Amino acid sequence: MIQVRNLTKHFGPNIAVDNLSFEVEPGRVTGFLGPNGAGKTTTLRMILGLVGPEKGTATIDGISYQRLRAPMREVGAVLDAKAYQPGRKARDHLVALAQASRIPLRRVEEVLGFVGLSDVADRRAGNFSLGMAQRLGIAAALLGDPPVLIFDEPVNGLDPEGIVWIRTLMQGLAAQGRTVFVSSHLMSEMALTASHVIVIGRGHMIADSEVEDLIRKSSGIVVRLRTPKAEVVVPRLQAAGGKVETNGDGAIVVTGLEAAAIGDIAFQAGVPVHELSPVEASLEEVFMELTRDDVEFHGGGVGASQ
Amino acid sequence: MTQVTTQTVAKSGFPEVGPPGLRDTMRSEWTKLKTLRSTPVTIAIAAVLVIGLSALASFLIAANESSELKHGSLPTPLQTIQGGWSVGLLAFMVLGVLAISNEYSSSLIGVSLLATPRRSRLLLAKVIVFSVSMFVIAEVMSFINFFVGHAIISAYPAYPNVSLTSHLVLRVVIGMGIYVTLVGLLGLGTGALLRNTAGSIVACVAFLFILPGILSALPNSWSNPIGEYWPTEAGRRIITLDHGPNTLSAWWGTADLALFIVVLLLIADYALVKRDA
Repeated sequence: MIQVRNLTKHFGPNIAVDNLSFEVEPGRVTGFLGPNGAGKTTTLRMILGLVGPEKGTATIDGISYQRLRAPMREVGAVLDAKAYQPGRKARDHLVALAQASRIPLRRVEEVLGFVGLSDVADRRAGNFSLGMAQRLGIAAALLGDPPVLIFDEPVNGLDPEGIVWIRTLMQGLAAQGRTVFVSSHLMSEMALTASHVIVIGRGHMIADSEVEDLIRKSSGIVVRLRTPKAEVVVPRLQAAGGKVETNGDGAIVVTGLEAAAIGDIAFQAGVPVHELSPVEASLEEVFMELTRDDVEFHGGGVGASQ
Repeated sequence: MTQVTTQTVAKSGFPEVGPPGLRDTMRSEWTKLKTLRSTPVTIAIAAVLVIGLSALASFLIAANESSELKHGSLPTPLQTIQGGWSVGLLAFMVLGVLAISNEYSSSLIGVSLLATPRRSRLLLAKVIVFSVSMFVIAEVMSFINFFVGHAIISAYPAYPNVSLTSHLVLRVVIGMGIYVTLVGLLGLGTGALLRNTAGSIVACVAFLFILPGILSALPNSWSNPIGEYWPTEAGRRIITLDHGPNTLSAWWGTADLALFIVVLLLIADYALVKRDA
């Protein structure tokens, strides 16, 4: 279990991580979400003892990373895919890491096979594609067979096959009872991978919740209505407290009224209903909504600003 | 959906082996050093250049001496034989810088610190592995260099020759290995402090070659004590036979350089521990 308490870090005048507290539990994949620049990587680096916090603590089962006696056998991490020297063979890179952690060298061959790099283990890692680099990073993280795994943006630059592979891998690791903490700025990816998400923006906590709960709470009640007599029913819906927007394709999107209530209003008005369906927001939409005020760089208009 | 079962929580990996220590970190650093293509390539090039240039110098100077007029300002035979080492000095200094700056330029340092978060242990392991391996290589190079130069000069009886049994020659040949190893450590300490290859090499070259030259232009009352204690100048006493005024003895000079490197490494260690990686 990863525990983060009141973690705070500035870089110059900018706050990178702002009094962040959360726990990452074993047995499930926890997504760590936020727009670019939200402080995800800084938080992960503080958990891993690479960056010192100004305030607060980050511990792995109660122990700070720097005090772990055999850190790579407790925590496996992939921060930067190409974190190896290009002139060294992939196998030698893993051997050096195994030796530093007193991990039996047979494990090197195991992880090479597991990530599918056995055939290229004697090639210099500098010639690796981004996908192979990610696999080498994952092999290094798994070397110590650790109960806690941390991945920073693991699907960046991967082809669809690689993305599915990593998704399956992370879920498999969680099913084995491991703690799996994965950062991403891609909500759609986390929707498929994680069961729990922690969302941050500009360094502070926005949401810490089950994926399903997050969607349910944030989206409110949205119902799509299709009718040939919109002009009759829309004023009545508005009178009943609904917010009505017309969709480009002829459907009406009603917010704030249950589907049953909308059906009743239409029935009382004698209006035929062609479609009446509750809409569930995607995690992506929830994420956009939650982080709207916390995106560091907004896309502006094309014209010159005053 | 998941069944209601007792959740298994994964345990630490490889509980049957004990926690890693300095020896494990040293083993890892040795693997890193020898498996990086640039290390053996740099050493091979350095060996060829040092021994080749020394051989060339021995040939040119000895042949010149035997055929032309004797000239008072010619280098001593030992200086001639050691002629190629200025290149070797540069090579060992660069190897020292790269031993750590390379980890920063490739961002391997983050992974190294994940494996060994006790940062002082990582630096200590690097220093031990680097100094022992470079010392062995430098000594082998120094002896081969001496015997090659000696053999070439022997072909020209008109030019004086030295042998290992001559006064202090053995000390100079062994001392060369010590001196270039220390210069390599100077590079390592600088690289650990500056974390940048180009900047560290420039700083070391300035410290080793440029600043002593500038300082020697100062008035004697300034330049004599500076020249006497300037670490890389004092360190040279062990590889020179003449023991002029205002110079430390061979071993005090080596101690002066070694002390400077210890202080540099302690500062580098403090910076490594305190700074964000």
